[in-house]
Amino acid sequence: MIAFENVSKFYDHNTVLKNITFTVQKGEMAFITGPSGAGKSTLLKLMYMEELPDEGNISIEDIHLSSLKMSEIPLLRRNIGVVFQDFKLINNLTVFDNVALALHIRGVSEREVHSFSSEALKKVGLRHVADSYPKSLSGGEQQRVAIARAIVGGPVVLLADEPTGNLDPDTALDIITLFRELNSQGTTILIATHNRELLKNTVKRLLRLDSGTLTEETVL
Amino acid sequence: MTMSYSFISAFKSLGREKWINILSTLTVASSLLIITLAVFFLYNIELIANHLPERFSMMAYLEDPLSREETRNIIDSLKKRPEVANVKYISRDDALIELKHTLKDSRSLLEGLDENPLTSSIEIKLRREFVTPSSTSRIAEEIRKIPGIDTIYYGERIAEAIHLLKQSVRNISIIIFLTISLGVVFVVYSTVKILFYRKNEEIEIIKLLGATSGFIRTPFLIEGGIIGLSGGILGIVGAFVFYFAVTYRLSTVIPILKTLVFPFEVLIALPFVGIILGVIGSAIAIGRIRL
Repeated sequence: MIAFENVSKFYDHNTVLKNITFTVQKGEMAFITGPSGAGKSTLLKLMYMEELPDEGNISIEDIHLSSLKMSEIPLLRRNIGVVFQDFKLINNLTVFDNVALALHIRGVSEREVHSFSSEALKKVGLRHVADSYPKSLSGGEQQRVAIARAIVGGPVVLLADEPTGNLDPDTALDIITLFRELNSQGTTILIATHNRELLKNTVKRLLRLDSGTLTEETVL
Repeated sequence: MTMSYSFISAFKSLGREKWINILSTLTVASSLLIITLAVFFLYNIELIANHLPERFSMMAYLEDPLSREETRNIIDSLKKRPEVANVKYISRDDALIELKHTLKDSRSLLEGLDENPLTSSIEIKLRREFVTPSSTSRIAEEIRKIPGIDTIYYGERIAEAIHLLKQSVRNISIIIFLTISLGVVFVVYSTVKILFYRKNEEIEIIKLLGATSGFIRTPFLIEGGIIGLSGGILGIVGAFVFYFAVTYRLSTVIPILKTLVFPFEVLIALPFVGIILGVIGSAIAIGRIRL
């Protein structure tokens, strides 16, 4: 379960998030929508602790993030799969090595690293480019590599920041189908997007952010 | 975190940034070679210094007259002392023969001598470890108190000089070793720091994926160790080149060089010294960077 309780975030006296309170239940799939600059990315960053809140409390799977020591942050991050908006792929590693890195960090054995990484690449339809480097791939393909890396470790929570931003409608739908499949296996998923088309047939739960304020919470 | 992954990651990184690593390795190799050459010269000076005490002796002049029995007792009591390596009795007649031999070109000096003015003496050689200024003065004092011994002469200055020479060699060795080691540490420190900053973006990503600081730091420590190890191995190669140049080429022109001894044990230690200094350098570099 993800729980935000009166969370606020300021950058140089500008309010980015204001008094945000919501919960996403374990195994739920929710969307955060809103225009650019509404605070969607910041909200996700607070969950994997790239940013820290100025006010309020956040808990994930009953862990209060404010109580975590610096040395415990890596353990939290290993349980959260993140699809970053700018992909954050390492350009001098192959596609396979980028995905495998997430498992090496977890100390997974070499044999499992190989089979899990291949499986994750297969899921996003990129097994054939395993030996290529990210720079040689299209934006959409890079995004799918980022997704493969986020899901390879079997995360409890999956956070995706505009995961279909660079994908054509068909591929976008494939990815959402993949997220649904993961969700049906028990992964809690939170997706930040402004793609209204995507929301049409897929939304289970919608949170709307506007200028840092949660203005609407729709359960469909 | 698997150690093998850290090693693979370190080797890949060394390959990617090969020029900076090659330069760094060559610098480490030159530094370690300088240490080796310094050790080589100082080792030979030390060898010479170690042989000097063998030439050091004390002269105990006996009272006159002494019976054969009394002389024998003095010699026996000297031989029993743990500091004494050997003793040699020189009778007054032997001493005169020796003096005549020494002054053979200035015989006129001895003309007019009716009787032998010299006294019997005992030459005492000390064991090497007792040829220090404090030991020699203590031993001389004790020997002087033995009944039948009139005076004792020994080269206080020589004992001091030998001691000072050995002490200086040791101090110079330590200073050279420490200074150059610091240099090696600094070279590896700078290299690893540059590598670290070049990989800043990559490290940020790895952190967001849940890497511990150990996972991030270990490959850098390994890289530092590998630079040190490679430097050490190249240092050995350089030292061999130097050794053969000195013993085979230069010694034909300067024969005395043939007597120099090369401490090969030092060469075996070189790669290990390299690894230790390399790891220390990278540990300082990554320790100063906030993860």
